[in-house]
Amino acid sequence: MKKTVDVSIPLGPVHPCWKEPVRLKCETAGERVLRTEVELGYMKKGIERIMRGRPWQEVMFLAERVCGICSVIHNMVFIETMEEISDIAVPPRAAYLRVIVNELDRMASHILANFSYCYTIEHETLAMYLLNTRETVLDNLERITGSRINTAYMIPGGVRFDLLPEDAAAMLADLVKVEDEIRRHTRIFETGPLIALRSKGIGVMSREEAIRAHTVGPTARASGVEESDLRLRHPTYRALGFEQITRTEGDNFARIMVRFQEVFQSIDLIRKCVERLPEGPIRGGGLCKAGEASYSGEAPRGELTYSIKTDEYGRVLDIAIRTPSIMNIEACAHSMIRDVTSIADVTSTFISSDPCIACNER
Amino acid sequence: MSILQDIKNAVRSRSIHVSYVDVGSCNGCDIEVLACLAPRYDIEQYGIYVHNNPREADVLLVIGSVTPQWVDKLRDIWEKIPEPKVAVAIGNCPISGCVYARRGTLTTPPVENYIPIAAQVPGCPPRPTEILNAILSVAPLIYKDYEEKQP
Amino acid sequence: MRSIVYYVREFLRPEWLKKFFFAKTAPLVTPSYFKDYPSRTEKECTACLSCMMICPAPGAIAVLRKKDGWEPEVYPGHCIRCGLCVEACPEGVLASGRILDVTRRDKTAFSSWYRLQVDDTLCMRCGNCCVSCPVNRQVDPQLAGTGTSASDEVIMRIEGGRVTILHEEKCTGCKTCENNCPNRAIRVARMVEGVQGEEAEA
Ligand code: SF4
Ligand code: SF4
Ligand code: SF4
Ligand code: SF4
Repeated sequence: MKKTVDVSIPLGPVHPCWKEPVRLKCETAGERVLRTEVELGYMKKGIERIMRGRPWQEVMFLAERVCGICSVIHNMVFIETMEEISDIAVPPRAAYLRVIVNELDRMASHILANFSYCYTIEHETLAMYLLNTRETVLDNLERITGSRINTAYMIPGGVRFDLLPEDAAAMLADLVKVEDEIRRHTRIFETGPLIALRSKGIGVMSREEAIRAHTVGPTARASGVEESDLRLRHPTYRALGFEQITRTEGDNFARIMVRFQEVFQSIDLIRKCVERLPEGPIRGGGLCKAGEASYSGEAPRGELTYSIKTDEYGRVLDIAIRTPSIMNIEACAHSMIRDVTSIADVTSTFISSDPCIACNER
Repeated sequence: MSILQDIKNAVRSRSIHVSYVDVGSCNGCDIEVLACLAPRYDIEQYGIYVHNNPREADVLLVIGSVTPQWVDKLRDIWEKIPEPKVAVAIGNCPISGCVYARRGTLTTPPVENYIPIAAQVPGCPPRPTEILNAILSVAPLIYKDYEEKQP
Repeated sequence: MRSIVYYVREFLRPEWLKKFFFAKTAPLVTPSYFKDYPSRTEKECTACLSCMMICPAPGAIAVLRKKDGWEPEVYPGHCIRCGLCVEACPEGVLASGRILDVTRRDKTAFSSWYRLQVDDTLCMRCGNCCVSCPVNRQVDPQLAGTGTSASDEVIMRIEGGRVTILHEEKCTGCKTCENNCPNRAIRVARMVEGVQGEEAEA
């Protein structure tokens, strides 16, 4: 009988390339990877179980700590779900401030994802450049909200702190710097011949596969799935004239480039927000009521859905969170890694789909 | 003897290998550890090398409240680290369980129940400067005169 | 060969050597707007417990009785530095980053109140909740061990064999009753609303 599988190689749970514990089991024939399996469950904390029976001011912090990298969007989607349940209207100024903070967080998250990828393909110079640029973004986040990560910025009916004119000016000045730097990094990434060797044509996922696997976020957009960005449906983003970025290659290179392009787009959105920022209150008040709703928002990694049921005192009775990474990780294991020619590309392909294990398992 | 020891002390305090293990966190502390690598904080200028390989680590950064999967694995990792070694708890999670230490949780903090912790960096998440200061302050103390302290 | 000489000469310059061996990044300062652990200001704490009630992290803050009055104490390692207590304190006892200034300027605040809910099918009429409630005890020091009381001013009392809630608005949301109930029959719902404007001053 012909032997098809040579050896099964485990990667992880503690691996120099993984930021978080996850285990990949690759079955290989020579250098070629035949099949990959993802083993999850190292990070299950039971957040949804803890959330039950708690009022919003406690659940908000738990929601944020579903994922520390993209904490703002978890906060935002949870709060907007509660607002939908309780019919709370947000003052326009608060809505714009939310977008600003959310986009800053998205930039930080995308830059971190690209950092991880560059680090994984051992382009440490670019990785360190990116990490330093990310610090500038986080500075702005800190200036507005008071903390770098887990900002706890949004509350039902508004936001916690106002944006001062001098902070806005400092932010715009910083954004010019960030834009400059990212433009340079993008050029390095686009034109680097060694980067191209490690990225172009590797881990290709076709549009059909992407749709079949229900991939979301930049992973789907890099494979050319249209209308996959939920910001298209968010009223504030619609008012800002948001347009989706789509690429068609579907390989590692495209996924990283989509993120770079989205960083530019986020910078534009923030500029537009600051320009149009209306005067007025930042909190409208409003109590959480009983009800049931399901609401989605676009996290840096894709579609994020909260389904919440509350009782008459605004406590969360039941909650289900669907995070984007779960689809992306499965699609990554089954479609992207399937045909890589070398075991060395498994880590970089996996990282290119920006897996977030913490929000995956909660 | 003591000159040799002095040289060892000096060299060791400028060559610290760090590995981090995430035992069920929210990621916030992981990325703050990563942010220490950034040129702004530049952890490597102090001779600290974040390598994420337990077998050559001196300092283990423990992040996160302990999930069921890690109860036995954390000890394994700790035993694989060669002596001398220290563990530093980063963030609230390994100290108290942070917001996860509530009814219904699956985690079993604190980490001290599983491995000895030499220093704690509270915060959710701590700033990179706080992490840096903690590593810098704890590592030389442990390695100082390590051989002489041996029975 | 020329280049080797060039490099050797370049690297032997004293400035370069000095820079190479002694260069450090500039010392990093924590910006003033960073939300650090709440610290106490000079203001007097009135033990209203608003800070403890809003705190989302378990065991992060406690209002302790000191020699001269009350004092909130924040425990690092539990506190997640969210700053909610700073915003919630009506007296401005706590400060963190610039939250205190910002909330004063924008007139933002959290108003909170509490709802008591007794599940009659679970309640065993033991009266533990009525006895343990600190507000009850203050109002009526003679509160009987069975939870009956002659005073009409207590939050709740046992009346005719069941718990009757008289003054929900006096509840400070401390959840002592909830923790003392053997059957988890009484539940305290803490409702919080983020408000802005003149009414936030109250
Ligand atoms: S301490 Fe806070 S930021 Fe750090 S891992 Fe725990 S929840 Fe996340
Ligand atoms: S800052 Fe937040 S976590 Fe810390 S004591 Fe205040 S309310 Fe509690
Ligand atoms: S909210 Fe302010 S006044 Fe009330 S107990 Fe806390 S620190 Fe004291
Ligand atoms: S929570 Fe319970 S014990 Fe505390 S004041 Fe209110 S009724 Fe009394």
